[in-house]
Amino acid sequence: MDHKKPGFGRFTEPSLLILVSLSNGPKHGYAIMQDVEQGSGRPMGAGTLYAALARLEDLGLVEPLPPVDRRRPYRLTAVGASELAEQLRGLSAFVDQGLRQLGESQP
Amino acid sequence: MRNLLLRCYPARWQARYGDEFEAILDEAPLGPFDVADILLGALDARLRRRGQSTDIVQRREFFMSLRIGGIAATVAALIWTVLGFATGSQQGQPFGGGVAILAFAGLLALLVAVTGLSAFQARSHPKLIWTAFALIAAGTVAMAAGAAADLADVVAAGWNVVLVAFGGLAALLGSALFGLATFRNSTLSRQAAALLVAGPATGALALMVAPVALDLAYLVMFPAVICLLAGWFALGVSAIRLDRVTSAPRPA
Repeated sequence: MDHKKPGFGRFTEPSLLILVSLSNGPKHGYAIMQDVEQGSGRPMGAGTLYAALARLEDLGLVEPLPPVDRRRPYRLTAVGASELAEQLRGLSAFVDQGLRQLGESQP
Repeated sequence: MRNLLLRCYPARWQARYGDEFEAILDEAPLGPFDVADILLGALDARLRRRGQSTDIVQRREFFMSLRIGGIAATVAALIWTVLGFATGSQQGQPFGGGVAILAFAGLLALLVAVTGLSAFQARSHPKLIWTAFALIAAGTVAMAAGAAADLADVVAAGWNVVLVAFGGLAALLGSALFGLATFRNSTLSRQAAALLVAGPATGALALMVAPVALDLAYLVMFPAVICLLAGWFALGVSAIRLDRVTSAPRPA
């Protein structure tokens, strides 16, 4: 089953930021850019956003909704939500380990 | 410009994402960083369409732009320092063939620096950033023409001196505007940004004093150049350090 699991090898950081941004509901491209910038403090260019969105869409992690005017919202798919949760749990375990080791090394 | 950027993408990509992408470009203020980002995105789309991809395009992250911009800023400062020593030791003599070429390389590095380091400021001060970019780009073209004049041996006509002087002035003004936008934005080092503004401002003072007191003008010009070089170097180092702090290696 592992071979079917989508990976984050490409656009690692932008993909993760986009998935987190979509985790609380559908958003169109510009709203994702603003959300990412406010949340992470890092500007995301439109080129990076759409390169990552196209990959996430191909992997079935996000799906487009019907456009409103020219803006097209995207939402997380069930697979996307599950992959994001797995990634975040992995990161959380890493953070816990780091903090534990830091605590042990402190006098 | 927005249409031009959109046309860089493959036709199939434009048919799928064109409308919504255009809507984003209409809403978001674009800076040199964004244009470079879109061009890389278009390259990525073309490579993907052909079933090819490069690691640089796939794995680029925001901090990679910051790192490239930071390195370019420090390299530019170092090139201009070498240039300062080279021209200082040739005082009173005509420009050597390598001066314009070296100055051109310095300005090219500065252009890369402005592109890589402008992501934050372009959101809040797009006009300032684009003016700074345009001035440094014009300076770079002038320097390239100056270098070509050197190589073509038309030094006697004096064109190379005019072009190099224009390139230098454009770089000074561009640096000042970029420093101003960076200082106001306060994401990168404000001290470095202040030096970028102080250098050209002191240089302008030296130019005003020059007709009446040339010695004093030289005296004032020295700290102006030091401020400018230190400003770019410090800004570059601060950007690289920001990158290192964020992407430090994970513990084993």
